[in-house]
Amino acid sequence: MADEHEKTGDDGRTARVEPLPIWFFVGLILGTYGLIILVAGLVGDERPTVLAEIRPALWWSAIMITAGAVLTAVGFLGHRRSQRKVDP
Amino acid sequence: MPAMATIQLQFVDWLIIGLYFVAIIGIGLYLKRFTKTGEDFFLAGRRNSSWVAGLAFLSANLGALEILGWTGGTMKYGMFVSHFYWVGAIPAMIFLGLYMMPFYYSSRIHSVPGYLKLRFDEKTRLLNAFSFAVMTLLMSGINLYLMALVLRTILGWDWHLSMWAAAAAVGCYITLGGLMSAIFTEIVQFFLIWFGLFLVAILGVVELGGLDQVFAGLPDAMSRLWATSGDAAANSMGVTWAGIVMGLGFVLSFGYWTTDFLVVQRAFSSKDLRSARLTPITASFFKMALPFIIVVAGLVAYKLSLMPGSGFTLLPHPETGEPWNDTALPLLIARYYPAGLVGLGVTALLAGFMAGQAGNISAFNTVWTYDIYRVLFKKDASDAHLVWVGRVTTIIGILLSVGTAYLAMQFNTIMDYIQAIFSWVNAPLFATMLLGMFWKRTTSAGAFWGLIAGMAVSFAVFLGFKLELFGPGLTYALTFSESPSAMSCNLWQAIWAWAVCFGLTILISAVTEPKPAEELTGLVKGLTARADDSAHGLLGRPVFWAAISLAVLIVLNAVFW
Repeated sequence: MADEHEKTGDDGRTARVEPLPIWFFVGLILGTYGLIILVAGLVGDERPTVLAEIRPALWWSAIMITAGAVLTAVGFLGHRRSQRKVDP
Repeated sequence: MPAMATIQLQFVDWLIIGLYFVAIIGIGLYLKRFTKTGEDFFLAGRRNSSWVAGLAFLSANLGALEILGWTGGTMKYGMFVSHFYWVGAIPAMIFLGLYMMPFYYSSRIHSVPGYLKLRFDEKTRLLNAFSFAVMTLLMSGINLYLMALVLRTILGWDWHLSMWAAAAAVGCYITLGGLMSAIFTEIVQFFLIWFGLFLVAILGVVELGGLDQVFAGLPDAMSRLWATSGDAAANSMGVTWAGIVMGLGFVLSFGYWTTDFLVVQRAFSSKDLRSARLTPITASFFKMALPFIIVVAGLVAYKLSLMPGSGFTLLPHPETGEPWNDTALPLLIARYYPAGLVGLGVTALLAGFMAGQAGNISAFNTVWTYDIYRVLFKKDASDAHLVWVGRVTTIIGILLSVGTAYLAMQFNTIMDYIQAIFSWVNAPLFATMLLGMFWKRTTSAGAFWGLIAGMAVSFAVFLGFKLELFGPGLTYALTFSESPSAMSCNLWQAIWAWAVCFGLTILISAVTEPKPAEELTGLVKGLTARADDSAHGLLGRPVFWAAISLAVLIVLNAVFW
């Protein structure tokens, strides 16, 4: 019986299934944090901070969401490509 | 003294911190499915690219203590702090990648002590394994204690709760996924630190009116790298260029980056030799970028502290009552960050603390399992048994770390010994490794007794300075300074430990019998096939990226000379 992290191809050969790459998880975390910070930035903060007028939460969260989306896509597509090689 | 919180957390900040704990435990649970063999648990399956291994290599070194400590240190030492990121790191990382990694990686060892066994003998391996195990546990415990101290001061968190919560989370994900879990969380930490803390430096520069304004009006001792290094009295670090180049740039830096298993283990997890060689070279670029967070934020804090009406005042140290430089970065977070971003900044610091502890524990469980347990207690242990031992060792290591943290809480002078421990273990080991890898005449007796002598000298020099046992003549002979700073003493302690180990190893090797050449194949220069990168284009060759890294280092030093 094949191990739970192994796949058996049509030719009967067993190949190792790789975990999702770290970029996928980093992307998810950054994207989620970016969305939370964006919402918090839109709601606003009663506590006065220096440079509040340039709204750092808004543009920094936009950068985080973009980076998160790119890393999630890179991780997911890279993983799918490597799985195709395992089981053509 | 009651805890004084400087950062007020709101619901959204707690949400971000809570999600981090959920994410890292979730990653550990996910990776457990892929962690079956010893190679999976201790070396992350040797499947990593140079990017993954490189970022983990850097992050294993990048703890929150370092970030807080050197941001605060910049308020005292100015641009001199950059030496720890540039000349004090990059040449060693490149040397590891280009010249030492082929010997490490090709011998398929699990640990640095494992190389000492192959190259020399069992007793040299055990000597290094025990000293490394003691060092990692002490470092892990001190890291935990300082984390609790910082969190109590800036957030008002309970000592015991923050120590046990962080230790439990680290213990949980390392036990589940081994080194792969540690590497994943180290890379998450790397991104959190950049996204969570770089904004502090950016906003600081914006508030002061631009980068040129950050440097405007600073004395040369604060704003230049080398200009004041001709005279130890002319810079606040109290060291000359010779101390920086020989002590920091050569002995301490090479000793740490090329032999400390905590960082080198990440390169061992690479999928092939070329990726392993590229690992420290990739990391070198990100290492060079760190002063753009740490030193810039430190200089911003320094200038704000001098500006009347800026409202920026360092918190007092909870034990000494003196202004505590380590609070500079948290104070900047409180100054600039609104709700949400505060949570991100605090999570970045938490991640830095926890990844630092995870790095120590994952290196400790490997050295204990392969270099101590298997050697002394169960030579014929199966692979499955070693994985079980690794998991149990992780839990025991975590508990010992917590115990060390409580010890540090009771006897906080223990922290004065951090630098001494590094010099004790790493500085002489670098001499042993250098001779072992590049001089085939080096003998097992020479390596063992050289290492013992180097460690003894390191300890003696440390005690001599600490207890003020040395007269003015000996002090000058050891440091080339009549009143050396503590930093200068540390650097020269490492230099002497290295020099004694290096010299004695050569002397003893000259009169003892070396191993036959056939036993040294793959372990020593001249008896090891050269790494062949000819199948790869220019962009795939480690030597090309090493040259670029060195060029960037030279430019940075020239710009801030």
